[in-house]
Amino acid sequence: MASSQKRITKEYAEVTANPPAGIHVSLVDESNVHNWNVILDGPEGSPYAGGKFTLLLVLPSDYPFKPPKINFKTRIWHPNVTFDEHGSMCIGILKPEAWKPSSKILSVLTATQNLLVEPVPDDAVESSAAEKFKNDRPAFDKEAREYTKKYAK
Amino acid sequence: MASSSRTDSSLPPQPNLRITIIAADGLYKRDVFRFPDPFAVATLNGEQTKTTSVIKRTLNPYWNESFDLRASEDSILAVQIFDQKKFKKKDQGFLGVINVRVGDVIEFSSAQDDQMLTRDLKKSTDNLVVHGKLIINLSTNLEAPPRSNLAPPNGANPRRPSMSTPQGSTSAGFPASPSHTSQPQGVIMANGNVSTQPTPGHAPAAGSQGHAAPATAGSQAPRPTGTFSSFEDAQGRLPAGWERREDNLGRTYYVDHNTRSTSWTRPTAGGSTETQRNERDANTQVERQRHQNRTLPEDRTGANSPSNMPPAATAPQQQPAPAAASGSAANAATMMATGATTAGTGELPPLWEQRHTPEGRPYFVDHNTRTTTWVDPRRQQYIRMYGGQNANNTIQQQPVSQLGPLPSGWEMRLTNTARVYFVDHNTKTTTWDDPRLPSSLDQNVPQYKRDFRRKLIYFRSQPALRILSGQCHVKVRRSHIFEDSYAEIMRQSATDLKKRLMIKFDGEDGLDYGGLSREFFFLLSHEMFNPFYCLFEYSAHDNYTLQINPHSGINPEHLNYFKFIGRVVGLAIFHRRFLDAFFVGALYKMMLHKPVALSDMEGVDADFHRSLQWMLDNPIEGVLEQTFSTEDERFGVTNVEDLKPGGRDIDVTDENKKEYVDLMVKWRIQKRIDDQFQAFITGFHELIPAELVNVFDERELELLIGGIAEIDVEDWKKHTDYRGYTESDEVIKFFWQTIRSWDGEQKSRLLQFATGTSRIPVNGFKDLQGSDGPRRFTIEKQGEVNNLPKSHTCFNRLDLPAYKSLEQLQQKLTMAVEETMGFGQE
Repeated sequence: MASSQKRITKEYAEVTANPPAGIHVSLVDESNVHNWNVILDGPEGSPYAGGKFTLLLVLPSDYPFKPPKINFKTRIWHPNVTFDEHGSMCIGILKPEAWKPSSKILSVLTATQNLLVEPVPDDAVESSAAEKFKNDRPAFDKEAREYTKKYAK
Repeated sequence: MASSSRTDSSLPPQPNLRITIIAADGLYKRDVFRFPDPFAVATLNGEQTKTTSVIKRTLNPYWNESFDLRASEDSILAVQIFDQKKFKKKDQGFLGVINVRVGDVIEFSSAQDDQMLTRDLKKSTDNLVVHGKLIINLSTNLEAPPRSNLAPPNGANPRRPSMSTPQGSTSAGFPASPSHTSQPQGVIMANGNVSTQPTPGHAPAAGSQGHAAPATAGSQAPRPTGTFSSFEDAQGRLPAGWERREDNLGRTYYVDHNTRSTSWTRPTAGGSTETQRNERDANTQVERQRHQNRTLPEDRTGANSPSNMPPAATAPQQQPAPAAASGSAANAATMMATGATTAGTGELPPLWEQRHTPEGRPYFVDHNTRTTTWVDPRRQQYIRMYGGQNANNTIQQQPVSQLGPLPSGWEMRLTNTARVYFVDHNTKTTTWDDPRLPSSLDQNVPQYKRDFRRKLIYFRSQPALRILSGQCHVKVRRSHIFEDSYAEIMRQSATDLKKRLMIKFDGEDGLDYGGLSREFFFLLSHEMFNPFYCLFEYSAHDNYTLQINPHSGINPEHLNYFKFIGRVVGLAIFHRRFLDAFFVGALYKMMLHKPVALSDMEGVDADFHRSLQWMLDNPIEGVLEQTFSTEDERFGVTNVEDLKPGGRDIDVTDENKKEYVDLMVKWRIQKRIDDQFQAFITGFHELIPAELVNVFDERELELLIGGIAEIDVEDWKKHTDYRGYTESDEVIKFFWQTIRSWDGEQKSRLLQFATGTSRIPVNGFKDLQGSDGPRRFTIEKQGEVNNLPKSHTCFNRLDLPAYKSLEQLQQKLTMAVEETMGFGQE
C-alpha cells in the first residue's frame, strides 16, 4: 500500500469509528481515500446553528508531508471563507509553515468547526464579513443566520 | 536536365525524404556590375519540382528551406541554381547544378538518417562557366520541424513546435467576446468549458478531464480570488489578451497571450497595453544590459581568449620557428604577418638578435635569457596589469621588459589584433594571463582554495573546447526564435556547432562579431525557459530559479526539446556566451553527476523540505505510517512508485528513516524528471564533455552558464534588513567593507550562499524573493564567534556571529562561502 494511503486509511478508520460530535465524514468515491466528503453541523451558539455544511477535504498525494485542502461546498458567510462557489478557507493549521507531518485530519476538522464558533477577522479573506464581525456583531450574526437559512438548511 | 522514366507508382505514397537546400557559396559572377539574385530548383526524377525563394544580390545565398519529397534509392535529385533576373533569358541565368543519386547518400531503412552534402556546382550542357559549392541536407526524419520559413508547397502546414500551455485545465477558452478573437489560437487549450478560477484543491482531484492538470497539490492556502474569472480580479478587468493563472504552488501569475509571455506582476488596470509593453521592454532592456555586462574572471582583460589561434606548437622554446615549420606554423605565420611581426624601429636592445625562419619570418633571440620570441623587442609592449593590491582595480601599465623572462616552456605571442597572449608548451595551453604576474584572486584571499579562474583557463584550453575551422550559421527570426533555433541547432551536427558561430537575425543586417550571439542567447534563454512552454517551471523557492517541469510530457515532443536545450546550454559555454537563466542548485549538481542531498530539497520545495527535516528530527513511529513508496500523480492518474524494490511493503521506522529521506529526495529531485534530464544532459555533452566540466563545482557551473553579474553593493546594502544588529554595528561595517573588497565572483558566491542563486532581480535587491514572497536580504545576529556564518536560502538570511575583528570576519565568511553548502552543514 502506498505511503500516503496507509496513513489516510488509518486516519479515516479513526474518524469514522469515533466521530466527533457534529462532524460526519464519508468518501466521495469508495475507491479513492484522498477525497473526503465532510458534513459539518453548524455549532450551537453560533449564527450557523441549524445549518448543515458540506465540505470537500482533499489529501494531496504527498500527504502528510503537505497539508490537506479543505473547501466549503455549501455557501457560508464567514470572515475566513470565501463567499463563492469555491468556499476557500484560510486557517492556521493548514498553512504550509505551520503544518507538521504529525498533524492529523481530525484536528483540521475540529479546527474548522471552531472557526465557525470563533472567526478570526484579522486573518480574513472576506473583508466585508470581517468588518461587520468586528464593528457590528448583531448585524453580522443576523446576516450569517440568513445565509445559513438560505444555503445550509 | 536530369530525368528518368520512373513513375509515381514505384514511389511511396507519403513523402519520405526531406531535402534542405541550405546555401551556395562563391557563385560565379557573370556580370561585372551586379550580383545575381539566386534561387534554387530541386527536381526529383524530373517530376517533383520544388523552388526556393529568391535571395537578392549575392554570390553566397542562404536559403535554408526544406521540402518533403517521395523518393526511392534510385531517385535522382537535381538541384539547379538560377539568377532570377535572367531567368527569362536564353540561358535562364544558369549558375550551376548538382546531381545526386539519393541511394548513394542516404539510408532509407533508417528513420533518422541525416546527411549534409557539400558539392561543387557543375556546368550544364551549354558549357557556361560555373563556380562555387552548394550545401544541402538530406534526411529521412520528417518528424523534426521543417526549416522552411514559408509554407511548404506540398500543402502541409508548417509545423510549429507543438507547445502546450501549462495547467491546461485552468486555461479555459476565452469568453466569446469579439475583442478576443484575434488571440493566437495555438496557445489556448481546446477546452470548451467556461473559465473558472481553479481552486487548488480541485485540479488534482477532478482529474477526469482527458488532458493534463499539472496543478498538483498546491501548498498555499486558497486565495480569496475565487469570484473572478481568469480575465479579471479585484482590481477589475485585465487588459485584452491577458489572463490570470495560478501555478502549481498556488502563486498567481499573468499570461500575455499577445506576446506569449508570462509575468508575476499584474498588468495595470486601465493602463494601455502600449504602456505595459513599454514597461516590459524597459525591463528587458535592463536585463539585456545586465546580461551583456556579465563576465567571467578569465575575460577580465577584455574580450575572449584568442579562439582562432593555431594549435600550440610543440617546439622547444629555443628554436621556435624552425621546429614549428609544420602546417600549423604556416597558419601562425599568416596570422602573425598581420600585426606581430611589424618591424620595430631603431636598434635592438643589447644582446638581442633578429633571425629569420626558412619561410622568411623574422624572430628574435634574446641572448641574455637564451630565449626566442616572435615579438620585436623594439615594439613597445605593455602588459596591462590588474592589481589585487589595488582595491579600485585600476589598470597599471608596465613595460614587458621589467617583468623578466617567462617561465620555462612558456612563449609570448600576439594575436592578429596585436594582443599579447601566452602559450604554455608544457601543457599545450594558451592564456591571456602573463604567468609572471600574480593572480589578483590569489592576492585577495590567501586561503582561497578553489581558483575558478585557473579552472576556467584550463577548461577552455582543452582541445575538445577549441573552435573548429569553418562557420556555423544560425539564422533565426526574432519573433520565432525558439522554433527557428530548434530547427537550426538540431539539424546541425555537434561538430558543425563547434565552428565559429555566426548568428543572423532575419531581416537585419549585421555580422556576428559577438554582439549578435550575445543577443541570441539572451533572447533564446528567455523563450525556451519560459514556464509558458511547460518545459521548465519556477521553483517553489523563489520566483526566478528554474527547474525541469515533471509534467513536461504534456508536450509529446518534450524530450527533443530538452535535448535541444541541453545543446544550447553547451553551445553557450562552448562559444563563451551566457544564458540569462538560473537553475535550482540541484540541477547544477546533477549536471556534474553529483548526488543530491536533503539540503538541495530546500531550493526545490521548501515545504516538503521542512516536513522531511521534521521527520528526521522527531520520532515518527506510529505517527507517519509511511512505507518506502510514494504516489506520483500525472495528469490525474495516481501511480504508486516504490522508492526501493518492494518498498510499498516496507515500513519506515525511526531506524531506517534516514534512508527513506535520502531515497525520497532522490525521487523528488531526480527520478521524476529522469527522462527529461537524460535528454537534456545528452544534448549538453554533445558539446561539453562530462570529464571537462567536472572540474567545476555546482556554483562555479552556475557562473559558467550565467556569467558573473556586476553587483551593486550600495543597492544591496540599502535593501538589507538586520535582526539583532543595526547598520552601525562594528561587525556590520566589517561585513560591508569585506564585500566591497571582493571581486565579482566572490560577491556572486556570497549571494549564492545566502540566497541560493547568483541572480539578482531585474529591479535590484529590493525585489529579492524568498519562498513565501518578497524577502529582503537579512543579516541576523546568530552563532558563536568560533563558528562559521550560516545561511537560510529560503529566507535570504545570513546568520552572522558577532566577530571581533575585520580579519576574523573575512576569514570566517570566506571559509563559509567557499567551503560550505549553506544551511545544514557546518
